[in-house]
Amino acid sequence: MKKVLIVDDAAFMRLAIKTILEKNGFEVVGEAKNGIECIKKYKETKPDIVTMDITMPEMSGTDALKIIKELDPSAKVVMVSAMGQDVMVKEAIMQGAKSFIVKPIKEDHIVQTLNKVLET
Amino acid sequence: MSSKNSNEPMLDIFIFETTQLIEQLEQSILTSEKSSCYTPAAINEIFRIMHTIKGSAAMMVFNNISTLAHSIEDLFFFLREKKPRHIDCSALSDLVLEGIDFIKVEMEKIKSGDNADGSASALINSIKDFLLTLKQGDTSTASLENTQKVDSKKYQYYISQDRSKTYAHRNAFKAVIHFEEGCEMENIRAYTVIHNLKEITDQVLYIPEDIIDDDDSIEVIRREGFQIYFKTDYSYENMHEFFMKIIFLKDLELIQSENDDEFREFSKIKQDVVDEYPIKAPKLQEQDKEIQSASAQQSIINVSVDKLDKLMDLVGEMVIAEAMVIQNPDLKGLELDSFHKAARQLSKITSEMQDMVMSIRMVSLSTTFHKMHRIVRDMCKKLNKEVRLEIIGEETEVDKTIMEHISDPLMHLVRNALDHGIELPEERLAKGKPQGGTITLEAKNAGSDVLIIVKDDGRGLNKEIILNKARENNLIHKDEADMTNKEIFNLIFLPGFSTKDRVSEFSGRGVGMDVVTKGVEAIGGSVLIDSNPNEGTTIMLKIPLTLTIIDGMNIRVGKSRYTIPTISIKESFKPKERDIIIDPDGNEMIMVRGQCYAILRLHKLYRIRNSIRNIPEGIIIMVEQDGEAICIFADELLGQQQVVVKALPEYIRRLKKIRGLAGCTLLGDGSISLILDSGGLINF
Repeated sequence: MKKVLIVDDAAFMRLAIKTILEKNGFEVVGEAKNGIECIKKYKETKPDIVTMDITMPEMSGTDALKIIKELDPSAKVVMVSAMGQDVMVKEAIMQGAKSFIVKPIKEDHIVQTLNKVLET
Repeated sequence: MSSKNSNEPMLDIFIFETTQLIEQLEQSILTSEKSSCYTPAAINEIFRIMHTIKGSAAMMVFNNISTLAHSIEDLFFFLREKKPRHIDCSALSDLVLEGIDFIKVEMEKIKSGDNADGSASALINSIKDFLLTLKQGDTSTASLENTQKVDSKKYQYYISQDRSKTYAHRNAFKAVIHFEEGCEMENIRAYTVIHNLKEITDQVLYIPEDIIDDDDSIEVIRREGFQIYFKTDYSYENMHEFFMKIIFLKDLELIQSENDDEFREFSKIKQDVVDEYPIKAPKLQEQDKEIQSASAQQSIINVSVDKLDKLMDLVGEMVIAEAMVIQNPDLKGLELDSFHKAARQLSKITSEMQDMVMSIRMVSLSTTFHKMHRIVRDMCKKLNKEVRLEIIGEETEVDKTIMEHISDPLMHLVRNALDHGIELPEERLAKGKPQGGTITLEAKNAGSDVLIIVKDDGRGLNKEIILNKARENNLIHKDEADMTNKEIFNLIFLPGFSTKDRVSEFSGRGVGMDVVTKGVEAIGGSVLIDSNPNEGTTIMLKIPLTLTIIDGMNIRVGKSRYTIPTISIKESFKPKERDIIIDPDGNEMIMVRGQCYAILRLHKLYRIRNSIRNIPEGIIIMVEQDGEAICIFADELLGQQQVVVKALPEYIRRLKKIRGLAGCTLLGDGSISLILDSGGLINF
């Protein structure tokens, strides 16, 4: 089973993503509610893939992405973005995010995206 | 994800989180408004909260909430990015507060299982209008917009390319990509493709060119597909494989060109290529430090109040069960050294456990107190008054149940103070008072009670008007000349009393101040009032810290048992015949260290037979409350123990209000003991 780390400041979103992923055969190894926590959890859990919210307190998803990429250049990070955050998603892609999911999250979208990213 | 029934836990957490965020938001707005402007931090916070609510609500298909949140988010995004200088803060606060109210109402509907079907379109329009005026009004916007465009351009052409690669690639390709319908943000998806492609080659051209900044690009990509021309050393198979990895790929058309013509043709449309954009990686060590400090505050969980209530009940039962074991009549007369040792240990643990459970249930008053800011603000606007709300001791903690009971009375008191108490600015100036009034909300601990004080510096209560009104409503059962100020003021707490003739939106809605007394008395508290003309009114709520378990002294009168809360007992002693005084009216008193106290014979009060009548044979227990004391006469003391307070059964309370009783409890031997309310006995 592929290990996923879910990063989102909203507990609701974390639960939503977790529910979908567990239903589709992913193992959620950790959850983090901001960038700082995410880096800590990333080191601890060594996930295969990270779903990363962009807008978060303490440290944003894009900043956390940069650090994770420093720690582990092969890290697979998928951004979770709302409509209209184009510029930020683009920056994230530049920083090495593999892809992105658009909120509100659709089950087949997130599953397909994660599977594709994990294939590479 | 749209069906609500299958998502109960998600719905719960949605409601919980959104409610919390809304409260946080309200606070943030009120603080911002008070400091008369929105700090960048506050703007960012509001933006983030709205962003989260928007996302969550969209997931749960509460589209009205989601669209509203979105429009507020847009507004604050603009504020954050463009920092317009002239903002009408008050109008802005009004708009957002209105939005908050809308979401609150919808949340209530969701909580009670109804459809969240309210329409926020009018509000959304006014938010959009506001945003529009901001955009127009800010003259510097235009130039700022330009600089922003430039900024984003800098971002746009970053490519992480390997410059050592030569330009002489052999194979030229043309690819047309169609994405799946509904995959959203096709432009960014296209950008991702280009980004990945540039890892392979630097000779890439694409249509539409301006993927990010041009809003139409999404439409073009949807309609015509995303066209890419590129040259590389990789084979057709390699490239096909590359493109097949694209997520949400619906259709791929990949053609290898025999010659470069098409490519050259296309290159005439000039494209800026490659501008180094340095990746800024924050310094790692600093971040590590932050990580550690943040993870320390990571140990809070949310527990439903139901569970805590059950736990509290269980602990209560356990305290009774413990008493049943330790004070079991079967043990009488037995020598049980080690049993008593073990029993003491058990008592110690149960009492610790009880303290723990109580402390879990304690919540600080700050949320309730800060809600008042909103009330004060709204009312000031409507009534054209200037009032400052001062909050003292908001960190004071009370039991969760108590908090629920005092929230409404407090609101009522604050409304009343503002509506009836504080005068209009002109009137205040004429009286030589500062133009703006002050309402002070204070909480403090006093023994086993919490005192909550609502104080205003308004006109004070008018005794004449109160008396007139009370007379009209037949509420006076005493000679008016004999009435003390306190008694007159207390009239306002009677049901059916209202001095305001006109019904105002806020405080005079037919419900009088009696809701305050009712609410407070329901949790065993009391209301004290004091007022001076033109200096203001002070209303004090005295509320027990916790409800369910108290330390009590059991006493016996005849065959009945009573429990007096230990906290109110001052002393107990064997009275001497010579200390007893009888006044001309036949009232019994007792001298204690030169002071005279009234004696209250419990057997007389509750008509108990077969009890001791002769005072020196029984025992006197002096209880004190609010600085007044009384001597209770009983047969004997039975001992001190923790008792669980149970309310008197409904049918007894309905039948008649028995004075001096706070409730009842179960003793160790299974018998019932009535808990005496010392305050009630003193003011008998």
